[in-house]
Amino acid sequence: MMLEIDGLSVSYGAVQALDDVSLTAPAGQVTAVIGANGAGKSTLMRTIAGLVRPTAGEVRLSGALLTGRRPEDIVRSGVVLVPEGRSTIPELTVAENLDLGGLWRDSIARKASKSEAFDLFPILAERSRNRADTLSGGERQQLAIARALMCAPTCLLLDEPSLGLAPLIVTQILDLVHRLAMDTNLAVLLVEQNAVTALRVATHGIVLNLGRVVMAGPAAEISSHQDLRHAYLGY
Amino acid sequence: MTAFVDYLLGGIGSGAVIALLAIALVLTWRSTRIVNFAQVGQAMATTFVALAVREVTGSWLLGLAAALVAGAILGLIVQALVLRPVRRMDTSGAIIATFGVLIVLQAAAAMIWGASPQPFGPPISNAGLELFGHVWPISWYDLLTIAVTAGLVIGLGLLLTRTSIGLAMRASAFNPEVARLSGVRVGRMLGLGWAIAGVVGAVAGVLIAPSATLSPNSFDIFLVFAFTAAVLGGLDSLVGAVFFGIGTGIVLSLVTGYSDSSSAPVVVLVLLAVSLILKPEGLFGRGKARSV
Repeated sequence: MMLEIDGLSVSYGAVQALDDVSLTAPAGQVTAVIGANGAGKSTLMRTIAGLVRPTAGEVRLSGALLTGRRPEDIVRSGVVLVPEGRSTIPELTVAENLDLGGLWRDSIARKASKSEAFDLFPILAERSRNRADTLSGGERQQLAIARALMCAPTCLLLDEPSLGLAPLIVTQILDLVHRLAMDTNLAVLLVEQNAVTALRVATHGIVLNLGRVVMAGPAAEISSHQDLRHAYLGY
Repeated sequence: MTAFVDYLLGGIGSGAVIALLAIALVLTWRSTRIVNFAQVGQAMATTFVALAVREVTGSWLLGLAAALVAGAILGLIVQALVLRPVRRMDTSGAIIATFGVLIVLQAAAAMIWGASPQPFGPPISNAGLELFGHVWPISWYDLLTIAVTAGLVIGLGLLLTRTSIGLAMRASAFNPEVARLSGVRVGRMLGLGWAIAGVVGAVAGVLIAPSATLSPNSFDIFLVFAFTAAVLGGLDSLVGAVFFGIGTGIVLSLVTGYSDSSSAPVVVLVLLAVSLILKPEGLFGRGKARSV
């Protein structure tokens, strides 16, 4: 299983949000896409998920073309996006938010996924009857990831999971995602503004700037590349 | 005092059908954030279908069944007419479009079935029940109406809160993007919401008909009553719609009893206006205000 993105371009009217972006996210590891605000990271994720139509290029999962398919079909084929901003539905309970993921799957498989999710995130089991808006930010992020896992993904897209969370919680969540990728052979594409944290768990990194790939390579190489850090990542 | 109790009880039967129509409005609002003013026209058209089937077969039940099917289909058609073309506009465009659909439905009904009122009798006795030497203002037909309303509300409540389809429908209404990203076929769920609303409206139409006769415009006033009940209930709440639907029926009955029937709609409109000024999110609604 591998997510391949080839020559992807997206424009919003006159604004070119992505320009000829290519990358791969192999199974069993975390691939980090980093870059400043407005670099096109979220657009990249939303395009992969089918919410935005590219003007050129294609997305494939293990060879199968995803571009042009509807978001709900892309989810069902195994590429699942956790969008930016802890996308839980506040009016539903924690259990309902979880159940929403993978409703098309048969009930035995869903039950198994649910108990796995509760093992991974015990706090969700404790809070399962509460409404999602009673959760803390970190708990809601866990819920959003758990719901994505309910869809039995082979490729998980995480859009800025660290946004607005305390550093300790970010570390916990990303370590868990890292472990999940290794243990379950999941391909994880992680978009982050917080480059240090993202590169710590990633095997490979891609640096985006104004919609273009300015560097791609092993995560360690990117974190040690001082000029690049100064130029694009601001630290 | 007996008069008061009589008026009170007399309002429950008509309140139940107002509640049903209010539920239909709530269902479309919940699924697509559109108040479907065509709902009353759909209910009128499906009741004409019921009348036609009833005249041929002689069976009220078969007429009702035909109305249910027609209601679901009409709901889907109206959704397609209203929602698809104006998706790029804001929802107020779609709400105005539902008025357009209402006018078209009424004109079409007048051409097909004529504009003069036609009788649509109840299937069982609509005469007040006699009990303890008093003739109460509640008939077997009112009891049937109340039972059907209660059954539909409970059934819908269970469907929405206890089943996977219901969860998918609610999620699609609350946050279509998150639902889609969870693999839910949102377009189908929204269509299903409108179809169910059409079915509920069709039941309301068939149940209203005996007290209103049937003509292209004879249900119009019920739109005002149902809209008031739905808004008072917060537009999002099935329980609110039922509570205020029956409440509206009782208010109408009391006003009609103590003064006369012509002032009843005015009182309801005043109630609606006052509630919108004092508590725009509705009495059962929560949070953010809305503009309708």
